[in-house]
Amino acid sequence: MNALHKRKTQVEDIDRTVYDIRDRVNASYQVGQGLTAKIVNEISAAKNDPEWMRLFRLKSLQIYNRLRLPGWGPPLDELNMDEIVTYIRPNTQLKAKWNEVPDDIKNTFERLGIPEAERKSLAGVGAQYDSEVVYHNVREEVRRQGVIYTDMESAVRDPEYGPMVKKHFMKLVPPEDHKFVALHGAVWSGGSFVYVPPGVNVEIPLQSYFRLNAPGAGQFEHTLIIVGEGANLHFIEGCSAPKYNVANLHAGCVELYVGKNARLRYSTIENWSKNMFNLNTKRAVVEEGGTIEWVSGSFGSHISNLYPMSILKGEGSRMEFTGITFAGRGQSLDTGAKVVHAAPHTYSSINTKSISKDGGWCTYRSSVSVLPQAYGCKSSVSCESLMLDDRSRSDTIPVMDIRNDDVDVGHEAKIGRISDDAIFYLMSRGISEEDAKAMIVTGFAEPIAKELPVEYAVEMNNLIKLEMEGSIG
Amino acid sequence: MNLELEHVNSLPAPTWFRLGINEIKIGETIPEIHPYDGRYLSTELPRNVEISAEPLPAPELSTGMGDAVRNFTEDNRTCGVTVRVPDGVKAERPVHLTYRVDEKNPSVLDVTTVVAGENSEVTVVMSYTSAADFPGFHGGLTKLYAGKNAVIRLIQVQMLGDKCLHYDDVGAQCAENGEVSVIQAELGGKSAAAGLKAALKGRKSLLNLNTIYFGDRSRSIDINYLAEHTGRATHSEIHASGALLDESRKTFRGTIDFVRGSKRAVGHESEYSLLFSPKVVNRSAPLILCAEEDVEGQHAASAGKIDSNRLFYLMSRGLSELDARKLLIEAQFRPVTDRIPDPALRDAVSEYVKERLEAIESVS
Repeated sequence: MNALHKRKTQVEDIDRTVYDIRDRVNASYQVGQGLTAKIVNEISAAKNDPEWMRLFRLKSLQIYNRLRLPGWGPPLDELNMDEIVTYIRPNTQLKAKWNEVPDDIKNTFERLGIPEAERKSLAGVGAQYDSEVVYHNVREEVRRQGVIYTDMESAVRDPEYGPMVKKHFMKLVPPEDHKFVALHGAVWSGGSFVYVPPGVNVEIPLQSYFRLNAPGAGQFEHTLIIVGEGANLHFIEGCSAPKYNVANLHAGCVELYVGKNARLRYSTIENWSKNMFNLNTKRAVVEEGGTIEWVSGSFGSHISNLYPMSILKGEGSRMEFTGITFAGRGQSLDTGAKVVHAAPHTYSSINTKSISKDGGWCTYRSSVSVLPQAYGCKSSVSCESLMLDDRSRSDTIPVMDIRNDDVDVGHEAKIGRISDDAIFYLMSRGISEEDAKAMIVTGFAEPIAKELPVEYAVEMNNLIKLEMEGSIG
Repeated sequence: MNLELEHVNSLPAPTWFRLGINEIKIGETIPEIHPYDGRYLSTELPRNVEISAEPLPAPELSTGMGDAVRNFTEDNRTCGVTVRVPDGVKAERPVHLTYRVDEKNPSVLDVTTVVAGENSEVTVVMSYTSAADFPGFHGGLTKLYAGKNAVIRLIQVQMLGDKCLHYDDVGAQCAENGEVSVIQAELGGKSAAAGLKAALKGRKSLLNLNTIYFGDRSRSIDINYLAEHTGRATHSEIHASGALLDESRKTFRGTIDFVRGSKRAVGHESEYSLLFSPKVVNRSAPLILCAEEDVEGQHAASAGKIDSNRLFYLMSRGLSELDARKLLIEAQFRPVTDRIPDPALRDAVSEYVKERLEAIESVS
């Protein structure tokens, strides 16, 4: 009799064992909770900021206090800034060798596979723990090519690169943009600075990994990448945190400058814990003939607002966005992309998939803007959503704003469930119902998975299999 | 008088405010409002259908343009009818309502209610015209209640002059197996706004909505459609197509909302815009909101120039480029205008579009 019942071995959550191991908080310094000018000044002093940066932080704080919370998207009422600690310095200095990093922090990154990945397949690694980068290293042959890959603080203070940082820092994403980017401007800490000189092809990726360990803390890393004319770079960003029963906040900022005929691929795998508010801002500006490729996987967070934006400024510039979002219980992941066609013959392609399960809420949100001068441009948007049960939710909110006639703009979206016919077909070939469903969902995500770095693609497929076991039908 | 209405044509799920697409505000000066002077109801009426000039205290119904517009129209009604179709009656001919905006009726606010009983059918055709260059105003409110197995067909054709302000607000509700089919042609006016909300409550109820719009000169068109699927196996089809020329502006919002419990519901939505000038503004927001697993939802939108192969084909048959383009614009509207049941109105629409196209001296 029992065999007739559908197996309902509900998996409570993604198996986050690796990510959920908490280290004892061993901070050498931290500011108090909340956000005041005193705290901002404290952070600035602790980081030995140049004066221009201190003033910039204070100006950002004023903007933060002036701006309202967004009137769209997931509710942010549960986020109380008065309870967030905006700066926690781990008990170590920046190291360039893993064996010099304190054991507890090193072990965390070992579990996450970062040192191993560095040995095998990366040109350089940056690792941030709470508010500070604890490890940064780049291969000698990459350094010899003139590539700069360093933590943001060092770059800000560097006599050679400091002026370049000052020229670009929060110019693409100004603090006036929205409340949480103003917050970022006030309390930013950590992150990476990358400069790839013109014509340099960085053959293997650089990776920065952001780990937030302390409960009730915020992480506000700033990533600034400048890819010179004709240069090529693949940058990977990973993030995770253990789960706590208090809200954590991530409000990072990524600014990408893609030069003439240059190419930048920016891959992100976000696996924050489900108490995290992930209110991140990413933006790229692309010069003539340049290409920005975004690959984005959103799996964690309690609430995510994440819409990487591309400004196609130069004629013939291109953007491709490939994203997958998987929302489970207690998650509202509001993700998508924005593109502005600001020059003639520009091209954009947005391809997203989302899966909602066990009460999770996925929202795809996008905007495609074509300015009057952007004649001869093409844009294609495709988003597909899969609903795995009737407790979940999936919304699609795209906007197109076209301001000239010489365009070819298309958008299509589909939403639905797993087809009974497909399951029946696979079962008639001897595959169990469970496996058939997992196979279909994996197949649904496959076009995205193949764009991910291989180790992340394997992990994503494993997560999907785990999630799917007996959970639908 | 000043017409100030806020939260009009609101998206059910707002997005970035800086895009300016979440809603509009109406702020215009309109002529004095007084009861409609003249006849607007056709003399040939269907048999066994009750038609009265009195507004019907109908059940509360949400409309596409929102509460502010609905309340203003109801409070300032100048004309309109209530159509009741008893159970089992299939009206043998349409109910025609022909409104004219001119010096006699500078502001026309019509409120029409259609109540279709079980197993009944009725077609209501509304048309709006105005005296040339007359700076008038039209605001319409139409409430449709389709009973079990009932069919209501509504055809609304707006052919106002270049100085008229216009809005058309529709709310519909369908019982089991009820059907509401709407054709809207937004062809004229200085600024035109339209909204429709259909509550698909009954099992297997259907909304079939086809719209055409035509923007030329500095006309602005603002549209907001919402199909709310609450019943099981409900079905919505929302299809819009149009052409934008000169410095015209258009915003199209279309939402398919699958409410939890609307199992086996299907919603399809499409929008195609042909663009003919580098100065047009074409904005679209096709939404799907989904809280039910067992549904099928799809939307597609595209915008661009006329297909060069089609243009080449027509020009190779001897048409000038301008004539070929005009023909293709007309062809864009044909699948919808051909469904207007009244041959005279169909011809009038065709003539109106032709006249508009004749005025075009060049299209890029």
